[in-house]
Amino acid sequence: MARRERVASTRRAFARLGGAMPARSAPTAVTAPAGVPPGPPPVSPPLESLFDTAPEAWVALCVAADLAHLDHLARLALDFSPRVSLESDAVLLEVRGSFQLFGGPQALCAQLLARCRAAGVVPRWALAPTPLAALALARAMTDAEVRAGQGVAVLARDRLVGALAPLPLTVLGWSDDTIARLASSGVRTLGAALRLPRAGFARRFGPDALADLDRLVGVAPEPRRAFVPRERYRVRHDPSFELAAQPAVLREIGPLLEALESFLRARGCGIDLLMLRLAHRERPAQHGVAAIPPYTPVALRLAAAEWLAARFAALLSEHLARTVLPAPVVRIELRSGALRTVTAGSAALWRPGEHGGGLGRESPALIERLRARLGSEAVYGLCLVPRHRPEVAWRIAEPALPGVAHAPVSAPPVSAPTAACGLRRPLWLLREPEPLPWPYEALQRLEGPERIETGWWDGADVARDYYIAREPSGAEVWVYRERLPPHGWWLHGVFG
Amino acid sequence: MDTLAGLLTHPGIWRGRGLARSDTHATGYARLDDALPGRGWPAAGLTEILTRRPGLGELRLLLPLLAALGAAQPPRWVAWVSPPFEPYAPALAAGGVPPGRLLVIRAAEPLWALEQTLDSGACGIALGWPESGRRPVRARDLRRLQLLAQRHRAPAFLFRGLAAAREASPAELRLLFTPQPGGARLQLIKSRGGHREPFELQWPVPHRSAGEAPHGAA
Repeated sequence: MARRERVASTRRAFARLGGAMPARSAPTAVTAPAGVPPGPPPVSPPLESLFDTAPEAWVALCVAADLAHLDHLARLALDFSPRVSLESDAVLLEVRGSFQLFGGPQALCAQLLARCRAAGVVPRWALAPTPLAALALARAMTDAEVRAGQGVAVLARDRLVGALAPLPLTVLGWSDDTIARLASSGVRTLGAALRLPRAGFARRFGPDALADLDRLVGVAPEPRRAFVPRERYRVRHDPSFELAAQPAVLREIGPLLEALESFLRARGCGIDLLMLRLAHRERPAQHGVAAIPPYTPVALRLAAAEWLAARFAALLSEHLARTVLPAPVVRIELRSGALRTVTAGSAALWRPGEHGGGLGRESPALIERLRARLGSEAVYGLCLVPRHRPEVAWRIAEPALPGVAHAPVSAPPVSAPTAACGLRRPLWLLREPEPLPWPYEALQRLEGPERIETGWWDGADVARDYYIAREPSGAEVWVYRERLPPHGWWLHGVFG
Repeated sequence: MDTLAGLLTHPGIWRGRGLARSDTHATGYARLDDALPGRGWPAAGLTEILTRRPGLGELRLLLPLLAALGAAQPPRWVAWVSPPFEPYAPALAAGGVPPGRLLVIRAAEPLWALEQTLDSGACGIALGWPESGRRPVRARDLRRLQLLAQRHRAPAFLFRGLAAAREASPAELRLLFTPQPGGARLQLIKSRGGHREPFELQWPVPHRSAGEAPHGAA
């Protein structure tokens, strides 16, 4: 008889689930007297009571596929076990080694679920000797059961198959085709699938499906990739007095940046994002006095991963010089972006350009320094675009010197030959064509017309006749006449 | 005596009369090479080009130099600080300047940006339009730029208005530029040697005459 039982609390899950815990062999560990609130029992269970449980015990915490939740749950799970791994919709943790510390499986699960609820997550959860079984049991729970806080716990391996047998096949994440073919031969539950002859099953549904079943019941081992939490640097500092001016703020930040540098050096890492929050004493607007926001944010983005405190300090001082502090600073918070592995290079013997000395970090450092003061959009590179219309034959690109280490660029620069084959183009282009500032008669026509037409495919259709002309003061300009009424004359470039 | 003669050829020593021996880059225009001391643009240091307004053809003077330095190894930036218009990448590429080396910096304080650019060592040549900034250009700022450009062995070109001709400047070379049909009229107003008489420069004739009517460019 493999009827799965569900019970209304962690305590009762362990107490009543016959399939889970044989009452005779392991009574003390799991059958706490009714009425005792969940929590670590005062006395650790005797060791022999856990002897007939499986060597591993996996908890699956199943949530809706939401990466932020999963990451949060996985960090939380690390408090209970060092062996945590992620599935697309669940966190799996091996807790067998933690039973003793937390006072038995029941207390452990109760604490784990209390932590989840405190974090605002109500997971479907199950405890089983193999990770796949825990996952299957957790996935099979209904919403009503989840709301009631129910879970499933199976500790003994000989009870595992019985607990799994009634589950539908969908819980294993097999393809719809496999499930449909199994259903057509009358196999709708895991129990039925496990009863099929192994050789025939492997032949019809593939060795992977058979391996899944083996791992499910613990016949085959299942090594899992461990979850490694992303590291961040985060520090909060309350200065002993309020800081009114930027130099004072910078002085207080100095030691924090030193600590950040040693943190990064110890890990051989750098960061390309550093967030600074300068907290003020908040005050709402009143009597015509402007409100003071709770904090002033400063975000430092770097062109390449950086770890030197002096560089952070120099860039932050540029940023702070542009920042207006609405009120004195009472607290400083520093938070880093994701850590990036960096390889430190040797310093060059020659200065760049001297005796053919190459560039090291000078180029990204220059761009960062300029951007820290001028803003990101004020510093840019250029690249060609293979188009015939002059205004779209180029575009702004992320500045990166070829052969010099820069942060990865999202779009590779297009290096296409210019479309103007042998035709003269002005060295300066106006951002937008301007109406001719001189009367047309004052221009001396030198070359032209060069007809540039069409562009219907991107909505910027043009029909223009371009001329190279000399304007009254002697400079050569690039002008065009629209071929469509009202046939206006426009200035588009200057042959500077 | 030989020792003294050897010493006097040192680029750091400039004797009042005669041409100073200094590192130069060829300008790409024979007439200009002849007129400039050292037969070319100073390879390190500040050069000022004074025009009535930007965009009269003064950039064409520098195009061969930009192409030469743009192709130099190791790669260094060709920096444009606060240019008056957009540098047109296809035309520059046609002139031999690789677009990947162009770095445009739009700054309200062009002198500060120029200083940073030259001081980084990452810049092979800097072009600056300092008068687009809020602050007047002072000789002190220019001296700093001149020292930085010399130290990092990069030429820096400043494009300024005619009014600047009346002010003193620590620049290596100062040049007055007046456009003329098909060319330009140039006059050195400060140089280490060279002639002070104005001279005329003709642009190379474009390889396609004005009479041919081109078909629509594809």
